[in-house]
Amino acid sequence: MTSLGQLCLLLAMIGSGYAAFAAIVGARNEDRRLGRSAWIAALTAFAALSIVIMLLAYALVAKDFRFQYVTQYSDPLLPWHYSLSALWVGQAGSLLIWAWFIAVLAILFRWTSRQCPHELRELAFGVQMTYLVFLLAVMTFAADPMAPALTPGAKGEGLSPLLQHPAMLIHPPIVFLGYAAWGVPFALAAAALISGRLDAVWLHAARPWSLFAWATLGGGVLWGAEWAYEQLGWGGYWAWDPVENGSLMPWLTGTAFIHGLMTWRQGTLKKTTIFLVFATFALCNFATFLTRSGIFSSLHAFSKSPIGWMFLLWIAACLVGGALLVWRRRSQLVAERPLASFWSREGLVLLGIVALALLTVTTFAGTLTGAVSSLFSAAPIMVGLAFYNNVLIPTGLVLLVVVAAVPLVRWGAGPTRPRVRLLAITVAVGILIMLAALVCGVRSPVGLSVAGLVGALLTSTFLALATVLITFRRDGNTIRPSVMNVLFDSFVRRRRGFAGLLVHLGFGCVAIGIAGSSLGSHETDLSMTRGESVEFQGRTIRYADLVQEDRRQQVVVAAQLEVQESAGSSYMLRPAQILYRPQNQWGTKVAIHSTFGGDFYVIMHGGSVANKIHLTLIDHPLMRWLWLGGWVGLVGVIIALWPQRQGQASKAGRAAAHAIVPRPHLAKFTAQVHRD
Amino acid sequence: MARMSTGKKLAIAGLVVAGVTAYMAYLGASSSWQYYMTVQECLDNEPQVAGQRIRVSGTILPGSLAIAPDRQEARFSLGEAGRSMPVVCKGPLPDDLATDKPMEVVVEGRVEGSSLLRGDKLITRCASKYDARKKQPQAVADQRTGETVR
Repeated sequence: MTSLGQLCLLLAMIGSGYAAFAAIVGARNEDRRLGRSAWIAALTAFAALSIVIMLLAYALVAKDFRFQYVTQYSDPLLPWHYSLSALWVGQAGSLLIWAWFIAVLAILFRWTSRQCPHELRELAFGVQMTYLVFLLAVMTFAADPMAPALTPGAKGEGLSPLLQHPAMLIHPPIVFLGYAAWGVPFALAAAALISGRLDAVWLHAARPWSLFAWATLGGGVLWGAEWAYEQLGWGGYWAWDPVENGSLMPWLTGTAFIHGLMTWRQGTLKKTTIFLVFATFALCNFATFLTRSGIFSSLHAFSKSPIGWMFLLWIAACLVGGALLVWRRRSQLVAERPLASFWSREGLVLLGIVALALLTVTTFAGTLTGAVSSLFSAAPIMVGLAFYNNVLIPTGLVLLVVVAAVPLVRWGAGPTRPRVRLLAITVAVGILIMLAALVCGVRSPVGLSVAGLVGALLTSTFLALATVLITFRRDGNTIRPSVMNVLFDSFVRRRRGFAGLLVHLGFGCVAIGIAGSSLGSHETDLSMTRGESVEFQGRTIRYADLVQEDRRQQVVVAAQLEVQESAGSSYMLRPAQILYRPQNQWGTKVAIHSTFGGDFYVIMHGGSVANKIHLTLIDHPLMRWLWLGGWVGLVGVIIALWPQRQGQASKAGRAAAHAIVPRPHLAKFTAQVHRD
Repeated sequence: MARMSTGKKLAIAGLVVAGVTAYMAYLGASSSWQYYMTVQECLDNEPQVAGQRIRVSGTILPGSLAIAPDRQEARFSLGEAGRSMPVVCKGPLPDDLATDKPMEVVVEGRVEGSSLLRGDKLITRCASKYDARKKQPQAVADQRTGETVR
């Protein structure tokens, strides 16, 4: 079994290596036969890789301890689904699943981009295959998932109980899928630079993949935060841990890149956009470097593991190669026209990109403080949470200003006089909402700013929608101009614009959640005796009893807390300590009462007895808005990605087709396809 | 007054944002930085780190851990590479801190006289680092005594 797996791994590496070579050379020499052989080699590599992953999955579920990987991450008593999740817990397994995702996406990319020009598609496919070869080489030479066990007959070391949670079945693969998906826009950018076809075609091909990667990685990050909040039970959702930072940084630069794609269409910020996609791809690899190289346990562990060096070299090669390609194509990457106005869309987008880049750079610096300072000093230092939280304030506020203003400004020019009036209304409403928040008791300047800016965002979104609808109706774009008809037609026509507005509203929700839960949070540690009542943030909490429940795998010891809100509602919270019998280990189960006004979060600590329990009570105002923002953003991305059907627009829409502003990039793209 | 070019305006806006961000980062770093060391580094640099906020990583020496019945305090020896220092840690303790296995932990606190580390936060090595921890063979036994949760 292990030798079959190793053979397949080798076959996959050779297959993808040939595919990379044949695709790139075939594209450069316009040799279609070579291109077809690359496709066959890639399919073979994919099949071999699929056999490897199925072998490992089967070995984990069947507890085949002849595999070293199985002995490291499973044991005979582990339930089969957690044993299967060990597939992405260990180093070799997670590299394997990442490589497999890359293979799947590369094949999907080549298969679905028929309308993409041949050379661009083949080159991008070749770059993706090169990436696959790199990961397979890391596995073959440094982290073999198919290595046979050193001591046959061992029983296995088991999986850390902290990882035995349903979220661990889904959250890690989603993040890896996000990392893998960023490889596609990167490959397209590299292909565009190599071939010199730096028109709008590669943007058009990269857009859906970028949105998919952005949503997947963002969803994975947010899901991880929610899991930490509800399951880890330390009272927060984000600790600026290196692992978290590693997944956040490519998402930040990825966000900037997606906006860079839009400015490229307008003929500006081309070098910035290229730089952002290379940075995003490099940071995806850097995240793996952070978690896999052992650089955070100690620098000594890093120097021992070859994986750290391999990833570092790969990242350096990508960045240097990218820089050389940009230099070679520099004449094609100059802006077609200067930035028209500060208050144009590209001006604001650039400001947003600056804010996102600053947030990324400071997160990067903070994450590496410990490792870098240990190189220069015998007494290494690290920065605390205040560093990151402080940086989040100015950058976050700038981003809010940008999303609040952007619906009312135009591409390529400053605002017209009517638009200036609408912007003035937006500012006025923002100030009114700020005052309302002040009256409601918000005192922190940051909190007031967030309230005002989110108010402005809502206002500008509403005004932009109203303008679109009024224009549609006035221009007689519908045969039966009922409100519903107008709404539907304008939605179909400007679907992507609406999707963008929706994602920005999601960002507004996230800002409310982050600001509310961090600025307005109250926390207290206390001990309670049975029957005692305490007051906390307008609530009366009475400790009624401690109840023990024996289940097959667990013993649950839960406190029953009767909570009476000052507003009148009452409910019961049951924070608990749980003994996991198979691992003989205790865990904390927090109790959360969640409304849109805020979360009441209770932790019962170990060491509690019936007549005295130890609690931490936390009040997290507006917490729910953070998760809501994630869902709103997801709906926005789905709308943006929804395939456009021919003839989807209604009769009325077709009748009004002349009224729609032609899109130069689409015209160019069509011309390109015909020429091809 | 001559109108400023768009590029200049954007450059100034970018510089202002960068400046404010850098200043906020500096404020945050100067209020929250702490030493981050292994036990050995901490003992070697004791005069320098005494009294400062510090984060020390090491392994709890087998047999040295004593947990108070209400789990609000733990005492143990934190060791690394043959050297060790005594630790007293107050506050809620992590769930997986147990006396029956050697554990890699990180303690946050301050070093006082005679190398005593007074911790206020104890973190067991993060599971998301995906390390395969050596699990000691142990009997699955219910350790509850009476109604004590732990």
